[in-house]
Amino acid sequence: MKPFLEVKNLFVSFPTEDGVVRASDDISFSVSRGETLAVVGESGSGKSVTTLAVMGLHNRKRTNISGHAILNLPTGPVDTISAPEETVRKLRGKSMAMIFQDPMSALHPYYSIGNQITEAWSLYNDGSKADGTKRAIELLDLVGIPGAAKRVEEYPHQFSGGMRQRVMIAMALVNNPSLLIADEPTTALDVTIQSQILQLLRDMQKEFNMAVVLITHDLGVVAEVADRVCVMYAGKIVEQAKIDELYYRPDHPYTLGLLNSIPRVDRGGDQRLQAIPGQPPSLISLPQGCSFRPRCAHSKLVPNNRCATDVPELYEKTEAHGSRCHLTESQLVQIRTSAGGHS
Amino acid sequence: MSGSKMARRHLSRRLIATTAATALMAAGALVGMTSGANAASVQKGGTLYFVTNQQQFNHMDPSRNYTGRDIAFFNSYLYRNLVSYKPVKGSAGSSLVPDLATNTGVPSKAAKVWTFTLRQGITWEDGSAVTCADVQYGVSRAFATDVITDGPQYLVGALNIPLASDGSSVYKGPYKKTGQALYDKAVTCKGNTITFNLNRSFADFNYALTYPAASPVKKSKDSGDKYDLRPYSDGPYKIGAYKLGDELHLVRNTAWKQSSDTVRTPYPDDIVVRFGLSPDVIDQIMLDNSIPNTVDLDSLQPAALRTFFADSSKAGQRLNVFDPYVRYAAINVSPGHLDCLDVRKALFFAYNTQGLIDLSGGSVFYGQPGDNPIKPVLGLDYAPTTGNIHDPAYNINGNPDKAKALLAQAKTSCPATYERATNPDKGLYYDLPKSATQQKASVIIQTAMAAAGIVMKFNFIPPGQYYATVQDVTKQGDLSRAGWGADWANASTVVYPLFVKEGGFDMSQNWNEASYPAYKAAVTAALNMTNRTQQAAAWKKLAQTAMDNYWVISPIFSKGQEVWGSKVGGVYFWEPQGTFGFGQLYVKA
Amino acid sequence: MLKFLAKRLTATVVVIGLISISVFLIFSYLPMDPAALTCGKACNPVVIAANRHRLGLDVSVPVQYGRFVKGLFVDRTWGEGAAKFSCPAPGFGYSFNRHECVTQLIKEAFPVTFSLAIGSFILWMLLGISFGIVAARKQGKWQDKAATAFVVAGVSLPVFVTALLTLLAASKLGLVNPIEFGRWVSPFTDPIGWLKTFYLPWIVLALFSSASYTRFTRSNVIETSSEDYIRTARAKGLSEKVILRKHTLRAALAPLLTLAGIDFAVLLGGAIFTETIFNLPGLGRLSINAVLTDYDLPVILATTMLAATLVVVMNLIVDVLYAYLDPRVRVG
Repeated sequence: MKPFLEVKNLFVSFPTEDGVVRASDDISFSVSRGETLAVVGESGSGKSVTTLAVMGLHNRKRTNISGHAILNLPTGPVDTISAPEETVRKLRGKSMAMIFQDPMSALHPYYSIGNQITEAWSLYNDGSKADGTKRAIELLDLVGIPGAAKRVEEYPHQFSGGMRQRVMIAMALVNNPSLLIADEPTTALDVTIQSQILQLLRDMQKEFNMAVVLITHDLGVVAEVADRVCVMYAGKIVEQAKIDELYYRPDHPYTLGLLNSIPRVDRGGDQRLQAIPGQPPSLISLPQGCSFRPRCAHSKLVPNNRCATDVPELYEKTEAHGSRCHLTESQLVQIRTSAGGHS
Repeated sequence: MSGSKMARRHLSRRLIATTAATALMAAGALVGMTSGANAASVQKGGTLYFVTNQQQFNHMDPSRNYTGRDIAFFNSYLYRNLVSYKPVKGSAGSSLVPDLATNTGVPSKAAKVWTFTLRQGITWEDGSAVTCADVQYGVSRAFATDVITDGPQYLVGALNIPLASDGSSVYKGPYKKTGQALYDKAVTCKGNTITFNLNRSFADFNYALTYPAASPVKKSKDSGDKYDLRPYSDGPYKIGAYKLGDELHLVRNTAWKQSSDTVRTPYPDDIVVRFGLSPDVIDQIMLDNSIPNTVDLDSLQPAALRTFFADSSKAGQRLNVFDPYVRYAAINVSPGHLDCLDVRKALFFAYNTQGLIDLSGGSVFYGQPGDNPIKPVLGLDYAPTTGNIHDPAYNINGNPDKAKALLAQAKTSCPATYERATNPDKGLYYDLPKSATQQKASVIIQTAMAAAGIVMKFNFIPPGQYYATVQDVTKQGDLSRAGWGADWANASTVVYPLFVKEGGFDMSQNWNEASYPAYKAAVTAALNMTNRTQQAAAWKKLAQTAMDNYWVISPIFSKGQEVWGSKVGGVYFWEPQGTFGFGQLYVKA
Repeated sequence: MLKFLAKRLTATVVVIGLISISVFLIFSYLPMDPAALTCGKACNPVVIAANRHRLGLDVSVPVQYGRFVKGLFVDRTWGEGAAKFSCPAPGFGYSFNRHECVTQLIKEAFPVTFSLAIGSFILWMLLGISFGIVAARKQGKWQDKAATAFVVAGVSLPVFVTALLTLLAASKLGLVNPIEFGRWVSPFTDPIGWLKTFYLPWIVLALFSSASYTRFTRSNVIETSSEDYIRTARAKGLSEKVILRKHTLRAALAPLLTLAGIDFAVLLGGAIFTETIFNLPGLGRLSINAVLTDYDLPVILATTMLAATLVVVMNLIVDVLYAYLDPRVRVG
């Protein structure tokens, strides 16, 4: 069976007064129904830009987008990049839905949550207002909001952060979407709430058999829910792999760096968390060669200074595991070993 | 918005609105008066419009009406007096003709008693007869100073009723009726004959009766303060509708009969006064002649005035004439102020009269230097004085050398005053109404004085209470800007008020001078004279004395301008009122 | 809610009381003497004293104020003997300049000002908001630049200039008869005449007052458009039209309510320049004449208090409405 979403060679850039911001640079990935793909990277790495392009949420007049983002719908494939805006609009909320980082600002402060959920429902369903409200209560129930029948009348500011994100999820799910893009859904929440929301997402994925793209900067989150992971750096996918592969055999120094920067229970108490030195590069003026080179501790291992001159190609070690790095497999094994605990 | 225009014409008739016409600018040509109504071309009917920026006439209540324009307007249309000025142009307009009365009055007992007999067939707008009692009642209202404000006080001062200790009449008017019996003895009715008993000889008393304050008021229609909104008519028109700030609509009074009236010739069917128009809108209406049957009750703003007077096609729609006023600086000669003749003369010679004239519109529109507190329009009573502007040393732009020489004399003749006038830490104080024009005037005055070594400082007083302030002897400075016009064609209404304490407008405070008792005696004698020629000679002499004493300096014989639309006919300048002869205006076909 | 209202109403009464006291005090200590104004030629202390008595200024300021407050609740009389008259409660005194009870003057002037205010207010809200929305939607395009030029013109040209120029131009073009202009007619007796009287002042006042609303709307719409919840609305699949109407405008325009409410209240207190130039016998002209030429304290007091009351009451209404519009500020 084909994946539900296939992103192929997606480029997104914004012309600005200072120059062109290359936010997504040749992005390709796919995700099937029932599968969760995590897109990981620091802020500004192009994760959100990529998924917003899939959703068709960029202002086309002010954004240069090329490539493909194909939704394999039962009625046939639709490329949301090239399809007319109106066609894409009618896919939003129905075939693909999205939830955002800060549920406080992402919900309209002036309308009751019932109103906001019903509004989404009535776009694609014929039915009375009462039907819409019934459906809203049903979903609020489903996402675990106690007293949903009563709270449906309430306004966003009357809910806690976690509850609001549940409302967002309910709203996104109201039309049984096939694809759910969750953009940092837990970042703004307390740690205890985070795992509840992730659990909810997992439950909902099962319930609706959705393809889920989970955007996060937190590899810890990824471990809990993702099937596969894309690691993005400076607008490019630098590594993609199944979750276990990535955790135990990361092929890119950046991934390695990310892994070293998260606390892990499987390591000793004397572990030292290592932040990746330096800052991500500006997307307007990327360094020549590998974008990660200025921060990479291992580029000297690559002969002929290739890291500074050649952009590394995506090397697909297996069909499911690829990375963009000039280092050889043996060099990587060595690095992994010295970093400790990964092999 | 022109602030000065809003405040203009707000003072009583002969007090010049100090902020008013002084804003005119130089330019344009002097034109003569147009001829009066030509009987052959006169048209009856139509609507005559008047426009003004003011919200209302100063007063419509006859007892309170004391502004030349308003007197002329209402006397022409709504209310009638025992006697009236002759409705013709030129000096003949200052002669009296009978109106309600059968003649211009019969004096007796050395003009201490005056009698008038009412004409038959004169009615109020409801058709009821105007009676002697109505005149008696109308005159009595002036005594009710707690209701009837702003009106002339000649009758109050002249009728033979005793005064209370504070100087007010013991008769308190027809509302309170205190002292009513005394009034009823002073003004008596016998059939159609009314008799006024006066407390002195008053040879020109009948002139005082041209004021609407002497017109009849029907007691049953008197609404006190509110009578100002709806005076009851015995004239050719009556109030059809009136809304303050909006419009006064006069319609024909069908109860009025032409046969009863030798003064008025009511031509238009309707007379409409529109209040509150923006000065710029008025200027445009007049310049464009867009509503040709309109008369401007205000004067144009300086720029529009220049344009209007430069346009030869408008020659028949404008007047530029001497108004009834003399503008001058009153000198406070009381001890501790300018009690030194040499310093007063120094001030006069140092004065830059031309600078002040130019500031206010130049000699074409503002006026010319005068030599007398009495204006030449008074005819009989005016003669050029000697000295002052006729002195060889006089310079219209100021003669600082002559002024310095006079100051040098003052140094020995009156060292204290000299010291005050020349010491930068002391200096003299000049009272001016606060306005942009007067601020500029103060600079011209100060510069001219400084050239002669005189230190001049200024008190700027809010215009609304300027005269109330400077007429308070404790608050007046050394010099005060002032203006005055005769109340009727007799210098008794100039010399007495300006230079005698009891006259009411004596801002020279000359009553401490050694020569004052003799001067006052001479004025009193002149007031009582019944021989008009003798009286005129007396006024001329008294005016000369005032000028020689420098009680006033730098008088200016001022001018006024009037404009109207091309379809307004019968326009002439009614000299004694200083405005149009409204009763003869008509709308051309 | 009731408690909130009661509290606010009490505050309103206190504020209005304080304003009346302030106006009273200011006019008592200004170097203006209304008694000197009607002094006439024979201006001597006796006449001034009589005038002061006539105007009721011959007693101490607290007593004057007491009489004023009393007049609000019971009929008040002036004068003595046959010249006695009274103003019925609620009275704001008597204008000796206009020979009328002030309450009556207000009653006559208010419909004029209300007509001016309501028409220009509706027009300016419509213009300001629609220009603002167009400018925001066409950001950077000619429509936006035109709106910006309009805003600059509207903000920098004072209304007394534009009003005058408009009136002069209109009469030059023969659109209005300058001598008839500004005549008050009731819309209930003569709706056409009413429109004829007011359409020019409406346009002038609206055109140039709407500039600030254009600017405000534009920036609010732009700002709101970048809000997360607008992205959410788009992600739901809503059309741009629905997003603008339901989501953007609701949030962008709610803050306008406060501004509009106060502006409307101020307008109801009298548009001084517009009324003066267009010769409309409304509250603005009533009060400016009372201040500039007449020193007519009772009129000044009444118009000031009315204007202040309108602002305070409108503030209250705006707060209630705002709470209705924005659930976040709703009171328990």
